[in-house]
Amino acid sequence: MEKVYDLIIIGGGPAGITAGIYAARKKLKTLLLTKDFIGQVGKTSRVDNYPGFFGVSGQELMKKFEGHLKKFEIEIKKDEEVTKVEKKGEFFSVKAENSNEFKAKALIVATGRDPRPLEVPGEKEFIGRGVSYCSICDSAFFKDKAVAVIGGGNSGFEAALDLVKYAKRIFIFERSDKIMADEILQEQVKKEKSIEIHLNKEIKKIEGRDKVQAMVYQDLKTGKTFQVPIDGVFVQIGTIPATGFLKGLCEFNEKDEIKVDFESCGTSTPGLFAAGDVNNGKWKQIIIAAGEGARAALAAYEYLQSKTL
Amino acid sequence: MKVKVYSTPICPYCVALKEFLKEHNIEFEEIDVSQNQQAAKEIVEKTGQMGVPVVEVDGQVVVGFDREKISKLLGIRE
Repeated sequence: MEKVYDLIIIGGGPAGITAGIYAARKKLKTLLLTKDFIGQVGKTSRVDNYPGFFGVSGQELMKKFEGHLKKFEIEIKKDEEVTKVEKKGEFFSVKAENSNEFKAKALIVATGRDPRPLEVPGEKEFIGRGVSYCSICDSAFFKDKAVAVIGGGNSGFEAALDLVKYAKRIFIFERSDKIMADEILQEQVKKEKSIEIHLNKEIKKIEGRDKVQAMVYQDLKTGKTFQVPIDGVFVQIGTIPATGFLKGLCEFNEKDEIKVDFESCGTSTPGLFAAGDVNNGKWKQIIIAAGEGARAALAAYEYLQSKTL
Repeated sequence: MKVKVYSTPICPYCVALKEFLKEHNIEFEEIDVSQNQQAAKEIVEKTGQMGVPVVEVDGQVVVGFDREKISKLLGIRE
């Protein structure tokens, strides 16, 4: 007979892991599918706002989360990129890239978010050849080089600070007329002589032969277009929810975020829950994602109980 | 079989890759490209990519933690 799980959790970030812990403690027959245990947090150099872990690296925090999850009895499949989810009668059918279909009575989506692309000519062509979305992964390749960081928010400022150790000059380009980064990051950036901030600049094009050599941008105040020689472009203009595999299964908001009721993290489809950065919650924070993972798992437990009555 | 891993101490996928190799008892030489700029240049030349991790198995190169390709090269069965 085909195996049916009580619950499938998709995602191995703070939301998915917390949901896993709570589900395991409720003895639900649970499967957690994830690409990896890295995600957005694992690519953050330092986390200072998660209680009990001041100054922890994102990677270390994720290791601790993963280790904590594995203390419990729960089936985990890593390297699984979910490609499609369907509702077949009472069950959710989850199709992953490297495996067959998995079936469950309830589903928690905790897939988080992916970097938002600039969508300018040259960007895709030069990924891994000067264009990067992960400063802590790739900054070592820009020793004594000139690099641009696109985006004047927290992640842009953090990327610029990651690059200080390597790059000779760092230009932060922000499209709007003001900096969005937290004041504390602004102070740190101000101290670094190698970082320059440019407001009202929109990137138009990334150019080069076999790697990035220049960038074209427009000054939105004067309308004039410029080209600057540059060796690297770090794109930090925010993120988009990772919901491509879920199309049509529940309601989304205009940002493609899954709409949930915040008490239960339940979606418009019974038995389907969404926790963490992937839903329409306003603040995207590790601790909020973890909290929502707990809510979703407890709500899924209640849902499953009501079904068997 | 000679296995080299080009990495940086903070790149998350490098850590994941090294753990994977250790789990399967595969010995490797580790080259930290954040300390060794010559090695950083070499892998850009070899792979055309500015990214770590890079695994080199007897001269064959894989960019990124591509578990399937790396397992094939090393004869790892999971």
